Amino acid sequence: MVNLDSLFNELDTIAVNPRIALDKYLVSGKKVIGCFPIYTPEELVHAAGMIPMGLWGGQTTPSVAGQYAPIFTCSLLRSCLEFGMLGKYQGISAALMPMLCDTYRGVSGAWRVGVKDIPLIAFIHPQNRKLAASREFLAAEYGAVKTKLEAIAGHVISDAAIKNSIGVYNAHQAAIREFCEVANDHLDVVTPKIRHTVMKSSHFMEKGAHTAIVSQIIDKLKQLPIHQWKGKKVILTGITGEPDDLLDLFAENKIAVVGDDLAQESRQFRTDIPKCGGPLESLAQQWLDRTACSTVHEVNSSRGKLIVDLARKYGAQGIAICLMKFCDVEEYEYPMLVKAAEDAGIPSLSLEIDQSTMNNEQSRTKIQSFAEMI
Amino acid sequence: MTETVAQKPKRPLPKSRVMVAAQTAKVYQDAWDAKARGEKIGWSTAIFPQEICETMGIPVLYPENNAAAISAKHLGDDLIAYAEGQMRYPMNICSYARLNLALAEKIQDPAYNTADPLLPSPDFVLLANNSCTQLMKWYEQLSHNLNIPIFFVDCLFNYDEEKPAAYKVTYIRKQIESYIAEMEKFSGKKFDWDKFLEVQKRSQINSKLFDDIIQLNTRVPAPVNGFDFFNYMSCLVLCRGKESTTEIFKQLKLEIEEHIANGTTSFPAKEEYRVHWEGIACWPNLGHNLKTLKNYGVNAVINGYVTAWNIVYEPGNLDSMAYAYATSSTNSLTTETIMNMRSDTIKKFDCDGMLCHVNRSCKMMTFHIFVGRNIVEEKTGVPCSNFDGDQSDSRVYSEAQFETRVQGLVEIMKENKEAKNG
Repeated sequence: MVNLDSLFNELDTIAVNPRIALDKYLVSGKKVIGCFPIYTPEELVHAAGMIPMGLWGGQTTPSVAGQYAPIFTCSLLRSCLEFGMLGKYQGISAALMPMLCDTYRGVSGAWRVGVKDIPLIAFIHPQNRKLAASREFLAAEYGAVKTKLEAIAGHVISDAAIKNSIGVYNAHQAAIREFCEVANDHLDVVTPKIRHTVMKSSHFMEKGAHTAIVSQIIDKLKQLPIHQWKGKKVILTGITGEPDDLLDLFAENKIAVVGDDLAQESRQFRTDIPKCGGPLESLAQQWLDRTACSTVHEVNSSRGKLIVDLARKYGAQGIAICLMKFCDVEEYEYPMLVKAAEDAGIPSLSLEIDQSTMNNEQSRTKIQSFAEMI
Repeated sequence: MTETVAQKPKRPLPKSRVMVAAQTAKVYQDAWDAKARGEKIGWSTAIFPQEICETMGIPVLYPENNAAAISAKHLGDDLIAYAEGQMRYPMNICSYARLNLALAEKIQDPAYNTADPLLPSPDFVLLANNSCTQLMKWYEQLSHNLNIPIFFVDCLFNYDEEKPAAYKVTYIRKQIESYIAEMEKFSGKKFDWDKFLEVQKRSQINSKLFDDIIQLNTRVPAPVNGFDFFNYMSCLVLCRGKESTTEIFKQLKLEIEEHIANGTTSFPAKEEYRVHWEGIACWPNLGHNLKTLKNYGVNAVINGYVTAWNIVYEPGNLDSMAYAYATSSTNSLTTETIMNMRSDTIKKFDCDGMLCHVNRSCKMMTFHIFVGRNIVEEKTGVPCSNFDGDQSDSRVYSEAQFETRVQGLVEIMKENKEAKNG
């Protein structure tokens, strides 16, 4: 009989080594499209019968990426470029890349020069989102992406197929949100690392299959008695809360993660795809509905309020700001986040997230001190 | 920006430079006067459709230009320290942004008068993200910190084509139309389309004139020290649609033609080598840059930065204008497109090398250099050399490194010349 541990292990294997999932799909004859984070319209890939596979870099000390990417490139995209140049993404038919920041603008050129075996499908989200013209634009932009995907798939992607995929993705989002809620009743079982693993693994699996596993996890968690967590609780905000060792430091200090605003995690799953004209318009409207994210233009960002509300809702004593090294869009928002936490009387902690080092000693000290403070 | 090379003048400033200084002073004074009258004034990104506020007579100042001027006067370090300290902005974000975000807070104190030139606090900001995405984040912060509105023209990024597709141009054109309507409401002023056409025409005259002037430096030896062009950028950034800019450019053209007629130049040494300067100037270190280049007889005859302000379109055609704002900044184009343009320029200006500023503040320009210098070397056969610096943060630049890199570049250029001359 499948138990929780085996379900978690299954997802952990994939989250730790996405190549296993990639090879499995390739062996089965599936075409795989790499999807750079975040807000890439995976639904179009899914509707084409191909596998959207997230490209989230990984802990590595770049040895070749420096040829094209300066040292002050955000460590996530530098890792992705490194892996691409070293052939670690071999087998992927193309990579979808959103032009969300300056690093993406630059890395798009670097990728074309350095990773010639994986064609790039670049696209851009409109940032002036209050005009109707922005939805028209994005639907047309997604249409251009769709045409390029059709060329790879070898067939037309029908509206019906996209609508079906939208259903799959909305169901997946709902499942992840439910998991996060249920997890908070079982913080003895759902450690920060496990919580992260459940969400991260979704980027490397066909979403229907991932939903099936998450649904089983939810069912099994609900069968357990509710656990009264005696330790501390925090909210995470940032691009990613990685590596696993960093999350283990929270567990070691009896701190549970009870909510997040991480781009790799809940930011992906909190905005449903609405019904809005045709399927491309629906996908476009989802982008227009997104808020509280550093990659999204918003006058008077609601992100500070969101993390404070999350902390209050889940009884978190602190907010950990996971600041991706050299991620300028996040860095601009850092003072605003600290102030929002301060104004709410909630302590905050800044952690540097850097995929180019395995050394977490500075974070260890910070988290230990934070645990004593909150 | 206009005073940068003027700090240690060795000879009287040419008349055109005096005119630039007067024009810049007037733009600032007009904004202060309007503020004193209780009128709204704005701050704008450098490549925003400034024709609209020019038409409506609404004073606008330009933080990028202002940050450059403050940095060139070595007055930026304290502001940058304030942004990183009291305001908690990480040191990895653009130094113009750090400097300006600090200044925006400092000037709320009426007694503050350290920065020069001093800007009046804005009532609104004008944002176009064609130069970079950081501008968007920077202006979001201004809007948030000062509680003022943003008027935004999202210019996209041309990720794999030089010519934007029609639906992209339409999106940008509709934003410009919407911005005009919103600015009418915000300012309470009616938009005069006839005057707008005149401002557009004037912008085109000025852009064409400046381009003609730049082309005069294709002559060997060059009549102009390439760094001098930095002093005239403010005309196009601040006053692209003004007749006073036309007068300045006509005067500048006359002065250069005089150099050509007399066989003289504003470059303060014998021009041994001609290089393309890639990237923004190191404003706090301009003096050292120029002194070093002069010592080695290197004239940076052309750079892509000074030509980035030529916004060429058909007056009266908003689609054409939208297209121009989507493609004018080199940071809005792919590396391959940019470096192909650079290669053509290097050939046209008969450059012996390319000197690339790896600007810690500008990720886009740095990526262009890292990814694209091979394109230039392959297409032109000229050597490229990088050096580390920053547009405002003086901590990044190393005089020793700059000199070493220039020296290395000169050695290769010398060998190439000797080989070429047999």
